[in-house]
Amino acid sequence: MEAKPNMGKEKMLWSGSENQDAGMDELLAVLGYKVRSSDMADVAQKLEQLDMIMGSAQEDGLSHLYSDTVHYNPSDISSWLENMLSEFNTCAPNFDQSHNPAESSSVVPNLRPKLKQSQQPCVFQDDSEYDLRAIPGAAVYRQTPDESLTSNKRLKINDTRSEFSNCLISSSMPAAEATRPVVMVDSQETGIRLVHTLMACAEAVQEGNLKLADALVKQVGLLAVSQAGAMQKVATYFAEALARRIYRIYPQDPLESSSYSDLLQMHFYESCPYLKFAHFTANQAILEAFSGAKRVHVIDFSMKQGMQWPALIQALALRPGGPPAFRLTGIGPPQPDNTDALQQVGWKLAQLARTIGVEFEFRGFVCNSLADLNSSMLEIGDDEAVAVNSVFELHRLLARPGAIDKVLKSIKDTNPRIVTIVEQEANHNGVVFLDRFTEALHYYSSLFDSLEGSGLSPPNSPDLVMSEVYLGRQIYNVVSCEGVDRVERHETLTQWRTRMESAAFDPVHLGSNAFKQASMLLALFAGGDGYRVEENNGCLMLGWHTRPLIATSAWRLAGGANTDSH
Amino acid sequence: MEDGREKKKPPSPKFCINDHVDILVEILRRLDGDTLAVAACVCRLWHSITRHDSLWESLCFRHVPSPPPSGIKPIVLALGGYKRLYMLCLRPVLNRLSRFGLRDRVDHVQLTLSLFCVDYYERLGGGGGKLGESSASSSSLMFLCRPVNV
Repeated sequence: MEAKPNMGKEKMLWSGSENQDAGMDELLAVLGYKVRSSDMADVAQKLEQLDMIMGSAQEDGLSHLYSDTVHYNPSDISSWLENMLSEFNTCAPNFDQSHNPAESSSVVPNLRPKLKQSQQPCVFQDDSEYDLRAIPGAAVYRQTPDESLTSNKRLKINDTRSEFSNCLISSSMPAAEATRPVVMVDSQETGIRLVHTLMACAEAVQEGNLKLADALVKQVGLLAVSQAGAMQKVATYFAEALARRIYRIYPQDPLESSSYSDLLQMHFYESCPYLKFAHFTANQAILEAFSGAKRVHVIDFSMKQGMQWPALIQALALRPGGPPAFRLTGIGPPQPDNTDALQQVGWKLAQLARTIGVEFEFRGFVCNSLADLNSSMLEIGDDEAVAVNSVFELHRLLARPGAIDKVLKSIKDTNPRIVTIVEQEANHNGVVFLDRFTEALHYYSSLFDSLEGSGLSPPNSPDLVMSEVYLGRQIYNVVSCEGVDRVERHETLTQWRTRMESAAFDPVHLGSNAFKQASMLLALFAGGDGYRVEENNGCLMLGWHTRPLIATSAWRLAGGANTDSH
Repeated sequence: MEDGREKKKPPSPKFCINDHVDILVEILRRLDGDTLAVAACVCRLWHSITRHDSLWESLCFRHVPSPPPSGIKPIVLALGGYKRLYMLCLRPVLNRLSRFGLRDRVDHVQLTLSLFCVDYYERLGGGGGKLGESSASSSSLMFLCRPVNV
């Protein structure tokens, strides 16, 4: 790349207060650009062309842009684009530096080059209208008139912008593709602006520029109203979460009834297949691990309403050779109103087990955190085959240092035949706030999209609304909380694998039976249209379109002489 | 057309199927679900016969690739019976699967039974039933009854 142009510190020339502001896009106007809303599609198309041309031109060929060109009124993007394009059209692809582009430009050549940052909304067409993965890579919101010249965000063709590269582009895409231009569709216009503003706000929060963040959060609110469906809801939740972070509102609700969160999770269970998938796949692994055992003991870290266990009890009842004696230890949080929710669940499961003829024993443990347990409390019998099950619980332990290691050690002390873990497939535990925010926006957009798009629940049914509240609380936690309060520290399967393997666990492959059961389950849900089951090195993942959202994995003690489950 | 043979009166029914319930049951057992439902509307006798669970038992596992696990009968009966199993779980499951050509190729018995068991648990009040909703509306099997968004 050539040496930096002499950009100087001049403000851009822009015709500030003319009254041609009618019809100008208001968001861009705030940031110093003037584009008519009606021109947006045209502007986008020209940007696309420009980017294509620049991408194919030799690097040398661009130098003239940096040194000799002046663009009068660069805030008028439309005409700037015209100029740029016409320059290229009159130049040969490999021109040399001596070419004077001034004659093709409509402006007077000047010694002081001003190259304005190009915005490149790279919008990737997606079949889902609400899929917020269609996010531009460039940071429009960065461009205030002063900043653009002093920042070194110059137009680099194959650059991967470290902060915002692949902003919300799927992580599987290589960086070079970030600059591939695509046509911006009109109907997504407000949606893109919405996401832009959200990202801008998050960045402002990260930098501590709370005044700007506040203004932007209000903008998000306005823009969100114009959207519909999943995008509106996601934007609203994220805006609220950002507002909480800005104003440091941390609704501390230690006395919040866990029966409320159980209720929310029940609605989530009913409105979409994620939890059912989790339960079925984990049960399959446990069933296979228990084959041949006469006495079995399941330790459930995520007891809640016990929805996972009826199916396992029934499967044990029907297994060849008859059912084993089944013992269940359920672990749950303390109840503020002193009701013994765990015992009630246990009682119902006992009734079920009695009905279908399985010997059953239940014990409930109440504790604030899984790290408070140790294996001696659980009173494992010597002749029992033990399974440990955790659905969306382990990530909470990452909020306190050392907790996860303690729990993994306790698990090992129980000498389990199998440990089943279901977790969200996302990295919401990064150190940098903006990264977390971006990931979460991606993730919850897909989730909300699947809730709305699968057609299972009628729109605005109680199930759907409560499921969204359930997810919304997670969003608030990821975005607005910190330290020990931030418990929704989701990590990806890869990260969990590393952790489990370094804690001396070996993976257990889930097998084709589990895959078939899962696929069948999905086929029952609106034809599985949109939902995808994937196998990943023996683990199963359920996702929406191309985005995996939850992952089930199974583990056993490393080097153990446990029966292989296949 | 009459010829020289002795004219026959319209034959008085010597055989009425309704007098032979066991034969009737054998016939009805071989019907498919929809026809059985139609048969239930014929008369009171037929209606009461179609309420026998044994009719539904043969219907339930007729098209399954492999025979159902032994010991299944007491469990199904305890969880609500074959008719309920069929109406609530099997029929919607089979309908859904047949839309995707999976009906005869996958063994859906395990899955169907699991769903049936979950239904029983919810009727017990498990799964948040104590929070005041009727079990019908909170049943997680309602998804099976909704039309598929094709």
